[in-house]
Amino acid sequence: MRPHVSVLRLPRGPDPNGRGFDPNSPRFIALCPTTISASTETGTDSVQIREEQRARSVLRESFLRTLIAMTNKQVQFHMYERVKVEAKFGASDIDVLNFQVSELHTPIGVQKEALLRCQDVISYSFDL
Amino acid sequence: MAMRQTPLTCSGHTRPVVDLAFSGITPYGYFLISACKDGKPMLRQGDTGDWIGTFLGHKGAVWGATLNNEATKAATAAADFTAKVWDAVTGDEVLTLAHKHIVKSVNFTQDSSCLLTGGNDKIIRIYDLNKPEAEPQEITGHTSAIKKALWCNNDTQILSAADDKTVRLWDRNSTEVVKQLSFDMSVSSMEYIPDGEVLVITYGKTIAFYNALSLDMIKTVDAPASIHSASLHPDKDFFVAGGDDFKLYKFDYGTKEELESYKGHFGPVHCVRFSPDGELYASGSEDGTLRLWQTAVGKTYGLWKCVLPGEFSLTIGFLVTSLTKALLPRLLDLAGSWWFQTSSV
Repeated sequence: MRPHVSVLRLPRGPDPNGRGFDPNSPRFIALCPTTISASTETGTDSVQIREEQRARSVLRESFLRTLIAMTNKQVQFHMYERVKVEAKFGASDIDVLNFQVSELHTPIGVQKEALLRCQDVISYSFDL
Repeated sequence: MAMRQTPLTCSGHTRPVVDLAFSGITPYGYFLISACKDGKPMLRQGDTGDWIGTFLGHKGAVWGATLNNEATKAATAAADFTAKVWDAVTGDEVLTLAHKHIVKSVNFTQDSSCLLTGGNDKIIRIYDLNKPEAEPQEITGHTSAIKKALWCNNDTQILSAADDKTVRLWDRNSTEVVKQLSFDMSVSSMEYIPDGEVLVITYGKTIAFYNALSLDMIKTVDAPASIHSASLHPDKDFFVAGGDDFKLYKFDYGTKEELESYKGHFGPVHCVRFSPDGELYASGSEDGTLRLWQTAVGKTYGLWKCVLPGEFSLTIGFLVTSLTKALLPRLLDLAGSWWFQTSSV
């Protein structure tokens, strides 16, 4: 029987917990500045990019803190197709693709546990 | 002693892989994107098959996927009636282009400034990515769903293949047909090789090669089974093809002789493409996997390691591969038959 070609290892498969695109990879680090989309229009210098990044960090942190503040609170979701639902917010997944909610009040009844697809949500509000 | 091919299996998709594309060679190597009916196209490192990321956002099967030369942008065509443009470094969705029907094909110009789309609404569209809100230029004429639309002749012309059994060459500016090829059956795939202006078309059991500028036929080769996709090696010495019988075939382009056939996939092969350096070719199958195959079997490249006779690792490699060969097919067979039984189309 002819020998098979040796293989160092198998190709790495997807990470079950995220969508990948490792921000620590050499390619991401090298090409990242050009991916701040707002900055690519105008020829910006590093100071402006730093300012923009600082603003983005502040906004991102505020957003993440609102997700924490929302836990176990009643939240009203405005969604496409004039859908307005209310539910008790549980958690978000890491890429903010789905919200886990309980006691979702819908026009056709109350769903005990549900997942809301974030791209379908236009806005949401809750009382602090 | 001639070595036996060890294909590298890239898992991760949960439905059939229907299209794949390589980028050009970048300072970070080259990359591979795969379109899958599970709606989640994936980006992989081209020479190893290592997963880099998944483009999340489509709400239906993804029928076509492509990368620009620098692998900084990706584009996908899906059954959710949209084509999407992605940042291939961050994985973020950059643009959604709404269509009126299933989109099947996407293709960037060399400078990534324009995107060509084609699909079931029978219209070819050209989007200016610098002005995405502007209405796309439309090219009409096909009488059936478009399978593939590609830029050619330095992005001055467009080649399209549709279910109306024609392949048409269009002038980009006039949007008129320059030349047309008619076949007895639907064309299953099309590949355009800019260097040398060669067009590779598959239909039935035939792999046909045409001059992309004149649409004159160069040669045709018949395979043992119905072929879904074929790819010509950059040096134009070999071509590979795959289709209904699950096998990959390797032919000599000059003599048209069938050189080798490889088993490995557990379902029909839907797409096959050579890497930009010609060292490997990737195949996508109904079985939900991508496989990477060496052009020169036994050469050290990517994850393949050439082992000289007498080396200790040859024995280990041989033991590992023969154990894997013995056990894995049984496990995959069980998994494969379960999967085929339980999955719905």
